[in-house]
Amino acid sequence: MRRVMLIGVASLIGMGAQAADLDGKQLFHQKCAMCHGAVGMGTGLLARRMKAEVAPLETRTDLSAAYVVRAARIGILNMPPITRGDVSDAQLASIAQYLAKGTP
Amino acid sequence: MLRLRYDQPAGHYIEKGTPLDAPHAPPSAATLDKTLKAMAGVVGAAAAFASEEDRDAYSDRFPIDPQRHRPFAAVAPTSAEQVQALVRIAVAHRVPIWTVSRGKNLGYGTAAPVVAGSIVLDLSRMQKITVDVENATVLLEPGVGFFDLYEYLQTRNIPLWLSVPGNSWGSVIGNALDRGLGYTPYGEHTRNICGMEVVLPDGDMVRTGMGAMPNAPSWQLHKYGYGPAWDQLFVQSNFGIVTKAGMWLMPQPQIVRGFDVEMDRMEDLGPLIDAIGPLRREGVLQQSPTIGNWFRAANILTTRKQWTDKPGSLSDEVIAAIRKQFGLGWWGVSLRIYGRETVVQANMDILEKALNAIKPMSMKPFSWRPGEPFSPTQGGWMGVPMTFPLQSANWFGGRGGHIGFSPVLTQSGKLAMEQFNRTYARYKEFGMDYQASFAFGERHMLNVNAILLNLDDPQFMKRVDPFLRTLIADARQHGYGEYRAHIDYMDTVADCYDYNNHALRRLNERVKNALDPAGILAPGKSGIWPAAYRKEVKA
Repeated sequence: MRRVMLIGVASLIGMGAQAADLDGKQLFHQKCAMCHGAVGMGTGLLARRMKAEVAPLETRTDLSAAYVVRAARIGILNMPPITRGDVSDAQLASIAQYLAKGTP
Repeated sequence: MLRLRYDQPAGHYIEKGTPLDAPHAPPSAATLDKTLKAMAGVVGAAAAFASEEDRDAYSDRFPIDPQRHRPFAAVAPTSAEQVQALVRIAVAHRVPIWTVSRGKNLGYGTAAPVVAGSIVLDLSRMQKITVDVENATVLLEPGVGFFDLYEYLQTRNIPLWLSVPGNSWGSVIGNALDRGLGYTPYGEHTRNICGMEVVLPDGDMVRTGMGAMPNAPSWQLHKYGYGPAWDQLFVQSNFGIVTKAGMWLMPQPQIVRGFDVEMDRMEDLGPLIDAIGPLRREGVLQQSPTIGNWFRAANILTTRKQWTDKPGSLSDEVIAAIRKQFGLGWWGVSLRIYGRETVVQANMDILEKALNAIKPMSMKPFSWRPGEPFSPTQGGWMGVPMTFPLQSANWFGGRGGHIGFSPVLTQSGKLAMEQFNRTYARYKEFGMDYQASFAFGERHMLNVNAILLNLDDPQFMKRVDPFLRTLIADARQHGYGEYRAHIDYMDTVADCYDYNNHALRRLNERVKNALDPAGILAPGKSGIWPAAYRKEVKA
């Protein structure tokens, strides 16, 4: 029987130079949604401090890009800091812009 | 600052001609800067991180003392060749490096090194995945997280399952290298490893098992190859840097069935263990069932302040109120049987009879077939990664966390009850809230305690270290050593394994010194220190 081999890279997006072209939404789901998605730790804990319907970050309308970057890099309460090895500066900027989209 | 170790004269391996009077000198600031510059030349300036913010980010997130393990910098290679080059630079400059796969080992040190001032090698950006669908295996790089691999399999409709830990933020390989646990039949993660690629502390590269034959199609199929099998040498050790590892995945079962069981009384732990143990050893249960106390479930759902403002351990009245609110037994366990319908049905009959005999408080049946929905809270038994259990960090209402104490027990209900009673009394003595689980292996049982921290309360935090040292000492008296340890306790735990004047440590040191004569790779990991860190050793 023929062996089926699939080869890929976990990150749909590469590193370095390509990072500037990334889709912030896609990166958010890759890098943040495990905690800030529907049943993640981040959503669960934010729901204790604000209305549950705006606990998922994608529903927020009060996030600035600078705030998202700062919060991710130094951590907030029980959110650990996100290292630059895990999420590069360019990737985080893209995520921050995506989350700040709904903010007037 | 680097800490000097080896104050104890006994129980260490001393090679002939080893200078005994030359304490290890930590690298100077100039050397560290020079080393980092050379490393940046390998990975690129954008992948070398040494700001104060970076040093904080790579420190322990759940620390007793946040300064104790602060690194000097971190670098993020993208290939095994870069790892080789970084290792050679570390050797040339005699600078300690500490490897993390994704650096999410919360409760055990996060990304932080044992030796403060080390340079962290963060392998997060090594993310290749090679799946062999027919043989149900995957070859992974260390930066691949549980969520990454799950997404990869799901988006391609590959019917293979992971086993995931309670907090699945981390690396699949990194978790297996620290002997992490899950809840399916593949729940002892280190047992799923099959074949590795490893960069040795001199920069050489080796492939283990069948990988030593360059054209072998069975690298991820046969764990041993020919001659000595080396995979476990690189687990919980500082003998090499794993840059690839094969893992066995679980073929999606035809059906999953089982029971969510709650037991009412504290003393029901023994009978519950004695009911499960024989079924696990016989293979009726193939998963790794984990019995948890009421608090393990409740501290995800609520906070302490909602129930009491009194310091010290929770009272029996408060415990009763919380249990009533959430319908929890004193102990609970989710038992699952996976596989073909007819076999699962036969095993379910056996399981149901055994459970009925111990009169559970409740016994809720579970059933799932491919394509059917299931609650996210069932994810652990279905190989779906999750982070919501980490909501326990908020138990005290502010900044929290947990630290592990996990002695290896037998599958004896009587002995487990004795261990529970001893430990529970200590929790009360030190004013801690008791969270524990009893996780079955095939023959052993791990008593995983996650001690919840209140990082906002300095007085509370002062009690944590003496509490942990007391627990470790108590367990040691009964022959129970830990299977895994936080970076603060690696020496203390290693000290417990002291047969024949620390023969195991002496063996580890001989291997360490042979493979890593410069002593650069993760000094102090699992209590293994290179000769270069001897301050004072007398024969």
